[in-house]
Amino acid sequence: MALNSPVFPIPTGSLLALGALLFCIGLFGALTRRNLIIVLVSIELMLNAANINLVTFSRLGVNPSLAGQVFSLFTITVAAAEIAVGLALLLAIFRLRKSSEVHDLNVHKW
Amino acid sequence: MVEYAWLAPLLPLVGYVFLLALGRRAPEGLVAGISVILTFLSFLVSLAVFTALGSHPDATGAYTFRWLTLGTHSIDVGFQVTHLNALMLLVVSAVSTLVFLFSVGYMHKDERFSVFYQYLNLFVFSMMALVISPNLFQLYIFWEMVGLCSYLLIGFWYFKPEAALAAKKSFIVTRLGDVGLFIGIILLFLSSGSFDYSTVFQAATSGHLGLPWISSAHLTTLAAILVFTGAVGKSAQFPLHIWLPDAMEGPTPVSALIHAATMVAAGVYLVARTYPLFEASGVALTVVAWIGGITALLGALIALTQRDIKRVIAYSTISQLGYMMMGLGVGAYAYGMFHLFTHAFFKALLFLAAGSVIHAVDTQDLFEMGGLGKKMRITQWTFLFGALALAGVFPWAGFWSKDSIINATLQSGHIVLFWFAEIAAFCTAFYIFRVYFLTFHGKPKDEAKYAHAHEGSWVMTVPLIILAIMAFIAGFFNTGLNNYGLEKYLMADSPTGLIGHVYPDNVALMIASVALALLGILVAALMYWKPVISAEKLAQSLGGIYRLSFRKFYLDEIYYRLIVWTGKLIASIVDFFDRYILDAIVWLLGRAGYMGGVGLKYTQTGQVQTYSVIALFGLMILVAIAMFHVGGVF
Amino acid sequence: MNFVWNGPMIAFYIIALGVLGAAVLMLSVRKVVYMALSIGGVFIGAAAIYILLGAEFVAVAQILIYVGAITILMLFAIMLTNHKAEEPPFQWTGRNIFAAVGSVLMAVVLLAVIRSTAWPVQPADVHLNAGNSNPVAIGLVMFKQYAFPFELVSLVLIVGLVGAVILAQERKEDE
Repeated sequence: MALNSPVFPIPTGSLLALGALLFCIGLFGALTRRNLIIVLVSIELMLNAANINLVTFSRLGVNPSLAGQVFSLFTITVAAAEIAVGLALLLAIFRLRKSSEVHDLNVHKW
Repeated sequence: MVEYAWLAPLLPLVGYVFLLALGRRAPEGLVAGISVILTFLSFLVSLAVFTALGSHPDATGAYTFRWLTLGTHSIDVGFQVTHLNALMLLVVSAVSTLVFLFSVGYMHKDERFSVFYQYLNLFVFSMMALVISPNLFQLYIFWEMVGLCSYLLIGFWYFKPEAALAAKKSFIVTRLGDVGLFIGIILLFLSSGSFDYSTVFQAATSGHLGLPWISSAHLTTLAAILVFTGAVGKSAQFPLHIWLPDAMEGPTPVSALIHAATMVAAGVYLVARTYPLFEASGVALTVVAWIGGITALLGALIALTQRDIKRVIAYSTISQLGYMMMGLGVGAYAYGMFHLFTHAFFKALLFLAAGSVIHAVDTQDLFEMGGLGKKMRITQWTFLFGALALAGVFPWAGFWSKDSIINATLQSGHIVLFWFAEIAAFCTAFYIFRVYFLTFHGKPKDEAKYAHAHEGSWVMTVPLIILAIMAFIAGFFNTGLNNYGLEKYLMADSPTGLIGHVYPDNVALMIASVALALLGILVAALMYWKPVISAEKLAQSLGGIYRLSFRKFYLDEIYYRLIVWTGKLIASIVDFFDRYILDAIVWLLGRAGYMGGVGLKYTQTGQVQTYSVIALFGLMILVAIAMFHVGGVF
Repeated sequence: MNFVWNGPMIAFYIIALGVLGAAVLMLSVRKVVYMALSIGGVFIGAAAIYILLGAEFVAVAQILIYVGAITILMLFAIMLTNHKAEEPPFQWTGRNIFAAVGSVLMAVVLLAVIRSTAWPVQPADVHLNAGNSNPVAIGLVMFKQYAFPFELVSLVLIVGLVGAVILAQERKEDE
């Protein structure tokens, strides 16, 4: 492979694969864990995986630009807001039901 | 003054709104005070309008504004004052005021006192607005409104099943007539392009009514008869008379106001108002005359044997309305209205007096009364005045008006109708004095009831006395003493002679009529006062005829068989279809939906993670499909 | 593609292994508190990767917000609720099997797609920051090009804040 200048050392595919694996781990966690906090954390994990992708494309996409980084900053902000509301809900639910298990949140059960 | 005639209906409307605002727990004195004062003011307005028209006969006119424009047609609303309208206004407001006053005593301590006055006010408003409507469209609106008020008031004691049934019956039976009226109005509108009375009349008299499928003359007859159907329903004429006796389930003041003096007269008023239409079609006029005559006779015959005091008077009302219709039908327009005028007073009087009696003894059965004259002097005497007026004894009001009609019947050459009228007059004298003697004379039949009988307070007796005076003098408004003022007044509506004829007095006939009435009274006295003739034996010897009268000629039963059974037959067929075919389909559909719902219910575990797993699988399936389509991934 | 083993690459693979290890650890520990700590490892690893990619500002923001704020907030939440909560041992229930299969399938599909795609190769000396330092460059872009979304996201944050306060408030009727 002949290139005029040295390429970026880390291959794009590896970075994206890291994001994908992180996402799937987060997905698995969100789907199987019993504790509400772990589910929330898993969702954070998934968001983080998306962030890694964004930053990767910011550097290694077809048109490298700062847009990916700016976007990941927005994602971080939204994630912060989300986790704050999520944890507040968790507290309210815990006060009401004395439990933080997803299994017990079955108000909509038939 | 005429241009202020709209105040007459407006005042009761104000009262209605006011009472509505006060609510149903308003104190009785306040409610009654407002109502009586407002109706009295309304009466003063009516009186002013009436007299203003008397001195300036040309002041009649319509005051309208455009309400709706439909293509080339337009509908106006507003009010119109003619001599006929002014007379009706006067009658309605006068009787209303007295009945309002009477009701203060009669309805005292009723739980829904305020509601009662609300309904009454609404009724008076509707009735007056009906009277001064400038066109058929507006008339129909208020026609239905008085029907509604009648329904509400008959069913006022809705907790009594009879009252609820009677209200329904009256509403449905009059509705039959109303449908006819509605079709008639629409036909007239289609053919003349207007709801206005004058436009319609002009088209009718000049033969310009016709529609593509019918000639003008036929359409005039058809429309007139359809309009008359409405009148038949409202005025309880044969064959739609059956609702009126049942309507007596309502409070007695209602019977006096609505089912004797005013609303039932609306039918007569309607015929009078559209008289040029009837005049333009001789056939329709003949139909009116015959229906009126038959009703007069039938009502009188049935009234002979009824046991319920209010029902006797109700049948008497039917009979007297028949007289009015007959009068209009034979061309005696002014006399029909004259009779309406006098009848309003003496029939309201009879009802209120009967109400006073019922209030005192708490029963309506004639054979549980008796001897009440000693305890209720004023009621007795006022009732007697009403009875004399109804029987047509000289010189009470009924004599003048009824005799005018009978005279017109004879003079216009309707011999059969003349005999109907005379027989009915005899029966009238008999049945009303039967009531009088059974109620006020003889021995009390029910001691307990007799014991607590007493005269009502002044609010009940004052209206009775005023009405008794009116029952005595109302007739003189159209005699030589008054230079036949009333008929001249009424005929001023149409100087061209479009509205019937008047006839000179016929003294020989007068004497004959009075003799007939006195004979009827005598028979009644002999049977129920000094029992020379035994009523029971007579009834037994007459057998079938007695039963025929007592069972009201089996008309209710016949209607029941014919109409209700036919209806039930059709209904049962439809019911079968509906129940076993349509319902089965619907049931199956519903069942399928239900079962589906029950099945799917179990997917609602309330576990968000389960939903997510399912969503994930959905996503995977979509991805799989996409990959097969795109390919080249693996 | 032939791998040229150089410093950043070695660093990347070590960090990536660390991140994945921390993520797996997070799902395998029983105690909720340990779990919260291990997620901190994931976040720090992600920040390191951002630095490798030349996104220093994002990396710092990641550490500040995720590690500094969210993880701590999570610990608070755990303390305030049931801090001794232990995740029960993983059970192969039907749902969990399906979840595992779905996740693995997802990973396989994603990896296959990543593998089968020819990704563009960028030279080592791309200058994203246009001569400025990374934070300055981001600030310029943020307040010029993305000023409106920036304000909107601040609104989202404020709403989230107020909402969280209201939700977490102790109310009389709860008792």
